[in-house]
Amino acid sequence: MEKNSIKNDPVFGIGKLDEDLEGFPYNKLVLLSASPAVGNEVFGYQIIFNNLAHKNKVLLFLNRTSPQSYITEMKEYDFKPATDLVIIDSYSSVTGINATETPLNKMIANPYDGTEIKKKLLDELDKNYDVVVLDSLSLLIDSFDFDYVLSLIGAIKAKISTKKSSVVMLFTDWEYEQENVKKLFTAVNAQIDIKGVEKRVIFGQYFAVIKCDWVNKTSFSSALFKAIKPGGIKIYFPKILITGPTDAGKTSFIHSASKDAVSVDRLGGTIALDHGNLDLEGYKADLFGTPGQERFDPLLKLLGGEAIGVILIVDSSRPDQFPRAIEMLRKTETYGLPIVVVANKADLPNALPLEELREKLHLGKDAPLVATVAEDLSKIDPNEPTKLKEKGVREALMALFKQLT
Amino acid sequence: MSGIMTGFPSFDNLVSGLEPRKTYLLSGNKDSGKEDFVYKLTASALNREIVVVYVTTNRSNTDLIMDFSSKGLKLSQYLGTSMLILDDFIRSVSPQATDNTYTKVLNGPLDLTGLSVALSNVNNGFLKDGKTVLNVFDSISALLLYNNTVTMFRFLQFVCGRAKISGVTTLLMLDDEMHTPQVNETIKSLADSVITLKLDEGKRYFMVSGGAKEVLSWTSLQ
Repeated sequence: MEKNSIKNDPVFGIGKLDEDLEGFPYNKLVLLSASPAVGNEVFGYQIIFNNLAHKNKVLLFLNRTSPQSYITEMKEYDFKPATDLVIIDSYSSVTGINATETPLNKMIANPYDGTEIKKKLLDELDKNYDVVVLDSLSLLIDSFDFDYVLSLIGAIKAKISTKKSSVVMLFTDWEYEQENVKKLFTAVNAQIDIKGVEKRVIFGQYFAVIKCDWVNKTSFSSALFKAIKPGGIKIYFPKILITGPTDAGKTSFIHSASKDAVSVDRLGGTIALDHGNLDLEGYKADLFGTPGQERFDPLLKLLGGEAIGVILIVDSSRPDQFPRAIEMLRKTETYGLPIVVVANKADLPNALPLEELREKLHLGKDAPLVATVAEDLSKIDPNEPTKLKEKGVREALMALFKQLT
Repeated sequence: MSGIMTGFPSFDNLVSGLEPRKTYLLSGNKDSGKEDFVYKLTASALNREIVVVYVTTNRSNTDLIMDFSSKGLKLSQYLGTSMLILDDFIRSVSPQATDNTYTKVLNGPLDLTGLSVALSNVNNGFLKDGKTVLNVFDSISALLLYNNTVTMFRFLQFVCGRAKISGVTTLLMLDDEMHTPQVNETIKSLADSVITLKLDEGKRYFMVSGGAKEVLSWTSLQ
């Protein structure tokens, strides 16, 4: 995020949310409702960081930890506040931490006094903050009760209705009475759930927009994510399959997309699989590459299992291999998944033009087809897999991610 | 799966150690020997290749390791591999403290969500590797000083419930002199089994109520 960008409207700073909700308009209350085993605090850090980077004025009401600990945590995610963050500190007085009132640090003298909290928070809202983050609403519920919190939300709503302010509230659902929780959900303009995909253990985390009254949609998609230190919230795709015929460039693609790719190969040919972790423009993905030789076909179904998207790589100069490419989609059982076709080696003299290639592969006119070429061979370490030029790799991945989100 | 031996023969012979997946409350006053019990249990579990996730709420990770060391128990070979410390204390004295290879630094006693998330993440990591895990809370008394009983009950119900589903054993330490009888009873109701310790004329004794094997009279802890 540009630190010196011109002041903008509030943002979530999480690409998919900003895209799906068409930004974060003023006068709105958003609830981030998390499962106790997943947590929502990183969303708060990211929203604060990105709004400060947009030169927006941000207020944090904090009762979960000390301001110093909060900033330490933010920095661990590489969210160093670009400009001043104003904090209402409703924590230090509970634990006896020595803290004093400053223009940036507003103290709550008695965090068990609901009247003081309400007054100080509402008074502060008169100072025209673009974004206000409350961390955490659950602790207010625990310290007081739902009636207090609902009344506070009503007062905040009334206050911001006349101002250019938006509010994000972090809530952990500690299995409170469902009737009360429903009242809370009703009181806000948007509700985003943050939960775990779990069986015996949690093996994935996702966020899902449950409601949003400023977007004219009846349903919203959800997204798996990982909270990465440093980096913050990244949309996460647990398995993208990279497949295609022998020597089309699958290993090169994975090693170009990922900094830590590994290959199980012999004499330069993949014999088991390639794997790489990808971190690109707010997305994280695990890339799994198949071998291309037919003798490894019994592995293909196994490697294709649970993939959620496919990148099919073909050698643009080898139309004789195209039937094999289509056969590999069938054998990996990934036919019908979101797909991007990469036309590699597009700079070879006998490479087919993209439209001819589209026709020979029987691709629909809207199916994403991206040309890629190898890096300058003189720059390549002969002991490493050949790398592809970044532009094509990036274009192919983003085209797939767009389909997946 | 066999029990987690505590390292006290008199206890293990009668109770067969701690049953996997169960929640234990270790109760007693300040001089009752709860720490000695937990330290020996931790060492015994680590020796048997059981992973220990140790939540400290009343002293820093460094002080905890020194306390173990002062009892002749060296943790260095286990730290970061089969023992991880969740330090929920250090930021109350040193707000800029950050994680190290064997410690996850938490945000302090009010951030129960942070503690729950960290515990879940750490447990998941070990469980995915097929490890047997023991969670130790040393102690929940410090958390009870900052959070009301209802909040703590909800929190413990959630984390102990999740531990049970995941196959993790939980030991909660409680200094019962610090709380009202009503609070003690509320917390006890969460446990499958309560281990009570006492010091009497220089000797330590235990009782166990609840669970498959109860010991309902004071028995010497050796």
